[in-house]
Amino acid sequence: MSLTEQRPSAVSAALAEDRLGVPSVVFFVISAAAPLMVVAGSVPTAYAVTGVLGVPFAFLLLGAIFALFAVGYVTMARHVVNAGAFYAYATQGLGRTAGVATAWVALLAYNALQLGLYGIIGSAAEPLLRDWFGLSPAWWVIALVAWALTGVLGLLRVDVNGKVLSVLLVSEIAVVLLFDLGDLFNAAPSGVSFTGFSPGSLFVPGVGAALATVVAGFAGFESSVVFAEESKDRNRTVPVATYLGIAIIAILYAISAWAQTVPTGPDGVVKAATDQGTGFVFAQAADHLGSTVATLGSVLFMTSSIACMIAFHNTTARYIFALGRENVLPSVFGRTSARTAAPVAGSVLQTALGLIVIVVYAVLGLDPVTKLFFTFGAFGGLGLLALLAATSIAVIAYFARDSRGETAWRTRVAPALATLALFVIIGLTLMNFDTVLGVAPDSVLRWILPSLFVVAIVFGVVWARVLQATRPEVYANIGLGAQAVGGGRK
Amino acid sequence: MHDNGTGQPRLHPRLASIGLAGAVLGELMLAERVTVELASGQDRLHVLASDATGEPLTQNVLDQIVAEPQHPLHTWLLFFARTIYADLRSRMIAANLLHPPGRSLLKQQPAAPVDSNTAAWPRARLTLAIQRRRPPALRDCVLYGLCVATGCDQQALWEHDREFQAAATAILPVPFRRLVVQTEVAIGEVVISRR
Repeated sequence: MSLTEQRPSAVSAALAEDRLGVPSVVFFVISAAAPLMVVAGSVPTAYAVTGVLGVPFAFLLLGAIFALFAVGYVTMARHVVNAGAFYAYATQGLGRTAGVATAWVALLAYNALQLGLYGIIGSAAEPLLRDWFGLSPAWWVIALVAWALTGVLGLLRVDVNGKVLSVLLVSEIAVVLLFDLGDLFNAAPSGVSFTGFSPGSLFVPGVGAALATVVAGFAGFESSVVFAEESKDRNRTVPVATYLGIAIIAILYAISAWAQTVPTGPDGVVKAATDQGTGFVFAQAADHLGSTVATLGSVLFMTSSIACMIAFHNTTARYIFALGRENVLPSVFGRTSARTAAPVAGSVLQTALGLIVIVVYAVLGLDPVTKLFFTFGAFGGLGLLALLAATSIAVIAYFARDSRGETAWRTRVAPALATLALFVIIGLTLMNFDTVLGVAPDSVLRWILPSLFVVAIVFGVVWARVLQATRPEVYANIGLGAQAVGGGRK
Repeated sequence: MHDNGTGQPRLHPRLASIGLAGAVLGELMLAERVTVELASGQDRLHVLASDATGEPLTQNVLDQIVAEPQHPLHTWLLFFARTIYADLRSRMIAANLLHPPGRSLLKQQPAAPVDSNTAAWPRARLTLAIQRRRPPALRDCVLYGLCVATGCDQQALWEHDREFQAAATAILPVPFRRLVVQTEVAIGEVVISRR
């Protein structure tokens, strides 16, 4: 919109009718974070695998760090609008080569987060199938059904409808809060302990592993800025929705993670979570609130996992599409299905990767929850941290050239503090990556997996250089997303 | 964009609407009423002549552009895409090119062409041009470009030749080329958008 535009425009007004307000964007943001899946899936797994009691504090700590990160991030969103935020921002701040490297890291991280979800769906659906039909299929049978469903819906471009999503989300949050209340009214004989909120309970061996899982629980909050162009008021909707999203996630998850420790007492939670796995939360709920509420929770746990899977599948497919449109990936990925308006090639690629992962895990007989859901989740979480750190640096670099009327707090101080904090967390995560993987501290695997991100960065840099040398017109359009075909002109 | 016999759509409605918005603007450009110019870093529509087009739909579109010349082409495509599908269908029914859509018990039937040969003719012209590797007339070149931009070519045309496609686009005057490109951008954004 130009600055000369003074009188109200019928065209702008008509287009504004379809725009998104704060509640819609918040719904989109939190739904990708799938509350019940995190509370019933990630949190008990984090207690079981890491043995760290400070998970509630970790949610609050990371919430604060992400809010700090968001200061620079949403400021950038006012000036750079793009559907693939991270790499667009990295391109604007640090140059096109860095942009391509960021794109590859993002691709790896989002794929990991999406693929990890196939590990949780089995344990989400199995108890229900057993109760209702007396069936007890292997986890990978359920995962394959979910995989097929996601693949088909991805091709048909069926996003879970906004209204359905909001109903699911509100009921999920209600159920989570109900579970929390049940926990609080049934405290362990030793009384209610606030150990989970003390920093001392987090900074123990294994802290990095706990932090990585918690990061994965936040995944999705960064998607708020891609709605910049579709939002009612770019300067207000996106920042408000981002902070609100982070606050809701941090507080809800922190309280729920803490509430889980109340009935068992902090000493018993690790053992209980290890013994019962993803059934932990529902077993507690059944004791406190009766089996109906627990079953309702289980149903929502399953729908939450599936909705999250579809959301991540489509996000990643669209991301691949945007890169294909720019020719950063082969242009076949930039093709659309005309009939359904789905990013076909990206969707098919996702589906193929999903099949490979499920088959490999099924054949090797690896545990889906701790080895697939948790490992991939923490691995994706690590990638997400790296992306956030790179984006923070990009924000500083971008505004260092021209502050565009933004304050120093937004353009320098907050992003610098966020970068520092993110690097500390990345360091802690790397130190504890053996715990994440459940391998011996001297295992090479703990270094191989994080180094995949280094490989992605190197690959991205090389690829960018190749593009620059052989196809300069493609290189010039990097970071523009769908607008790359238009040379960035509106 | 639609089956010439039954009128069944080949494209997702949102993609079809953007393609049709591009087509109507293309009509006005071919009639030399508007053109695309680069102004303050944006592709904008510039009105060349605002005299009557002799037809209500294009007249209405032209009037709106005259009233608010400040919007980029991209915005116009999104704006006209909101209503153009229904408007064009009414225009074609009024011109006796389409039967009014029938209603079955459960869902609305698509509007079927009155004469399937007339409906198939533009597509036949394009198919022939591609087969002979001879770029068609300007009007059909624009149609071809919009077809490719919306992804409709994959559904409707038999042959896909990237080189010929590039050659056919290259002979288009710059304003038409920008129209095609901006249509492709808008289509890409629809695919990326989560709604």
